[in-house]
Amino acid sequence: MPVKGLRTVTTAQNGVGAFIHQCKRLDFHYCKYGGSSRGMLAFLTQTLPNFARENPQIELRVAPRPGKHPVIKGQYVNGREKAICVRNLEPIDILKKAMILKDASGDKLKRTKKPVTSINESVRGIWSPYHGDLRGV
Amino acid sequence: MFSRSVLRSLTSDLRLSAPSISTISLPQRACLHQTASLRNAQQQSQTQSSSLNPETPLSATPRAQESIPETSIHNIIPQTRDDIPLAKQPVAPTFTSPLEVTKSLMAQLPHLVGQTPHYVTAEIHARPFLLTAGDHIRLPFLMPKVKTGDILRFNRASALGSRDFTLKGSPHIDERLFECRVRVIGVESEPLRIKEKTKRRQRHTKQARSKHRYTTMRVMDVRVKSPEELLKEGAVVIEDAADSPQIEARS
Repeated sequence: MPVKGLRTVTTAQNGVGAFIHQCKRLDFHYCKYGGSSRGMLAFLTQTLPNFARENPQIELRVAPRPGKHPVIKGQYVNGREKAICVRNLEPIDILKKAMILKDASGDKLKRTKKPVTSINESVRGIWSPYHGDLRGV
Repeated sequence: MFSRSVLRSLTSDLRLSAPSISTISLPQRACLHQTASLRNAQQQSQTQSSSLNPETPLSATPRAQESIPETSIHNIIPQTRDDIPLAKQPVAPTFTSPLEVTKSLMAQLPHLVGQTPHYVTAEIHARPFLLTAGDHIRLPFLMPKVKTGDILRFNRASALGSRDFTLKGSPHIDERLFECRVRVIGVESEPLRIKEKTKRRQRHTKQARSKHRYTTMRVMDVRVKSPEELLKEGAVVIEDAADSPQIEARS
């Protein structure tokens, strides 16, 4: 008797029932002495507490990286990582970059032409020439 | 914390609007946040006596303070609509007249409701999107004023159907006939495009860079309301007219 595989009944799709934010963690790296980190230092002291309060589902890590430009890194549910260099940026611009990482899905950027992607079967079925009535032209 | 039904009835009284508002909006909300409504249903009897003043912020009621630790009262993150102050609540659509359904549509509607997977041709900025439940949408633009996790209801549709039946709007279907909810998943970006711009008789080429951002969404459900539901929500059955919408069966 041939072995039959189990058919999956449903596929998990984020957002249909429960919704899970795709960004798991944000790492903020800065240098204490570097001039390019000046905006980042201001961001960490002024803006970050509020940002953390508004996004309790994201783990935030702040770590020094002496002698390097400041970087924000995002870790995602799909295992990927995205990094944005924020050297010489003002705190408000750094917040925008952090928002980009927060809202991203973690997938590689793709150019898509179709707005809707579906894994469902076609609702109306596939047209067949052998079924249905004849139609006058 | 106020119960939603209490809120709705209070707001509808305040606005002096059509009485159909509260009846229309209630069942939809209830299915969205079932746990919240269940929890509120228990508290309803207690809060109803104390909720005479609707202008007070929701977090200020003694009921809400009991459940939240004292330190975080001033910076609560809203989880459900109950946490949002009344002034910032989304406004339910106000209809001037009740929904009018023709007799023939009322007779045909059970066929459409009974056949399950449904599709809807929802229109956003006059662009049609054919949607079924569970679909992923990447809008061709960045939608302003939405956050990830928000739930939107698409109310403009030009067609609604199942395998064998289609209800076509002329040009749109009344939004009280169906429910199509989507959840904002996030913001996607396209890869950087560089277009080289050249002018004649010049060695110089200019590079135009573009990297647009798009809102992504997931369709939560597409649902057609049954005739009983419509009648309960205050629909009026009228005689057929020449241009009244009808459900077309597949030939």
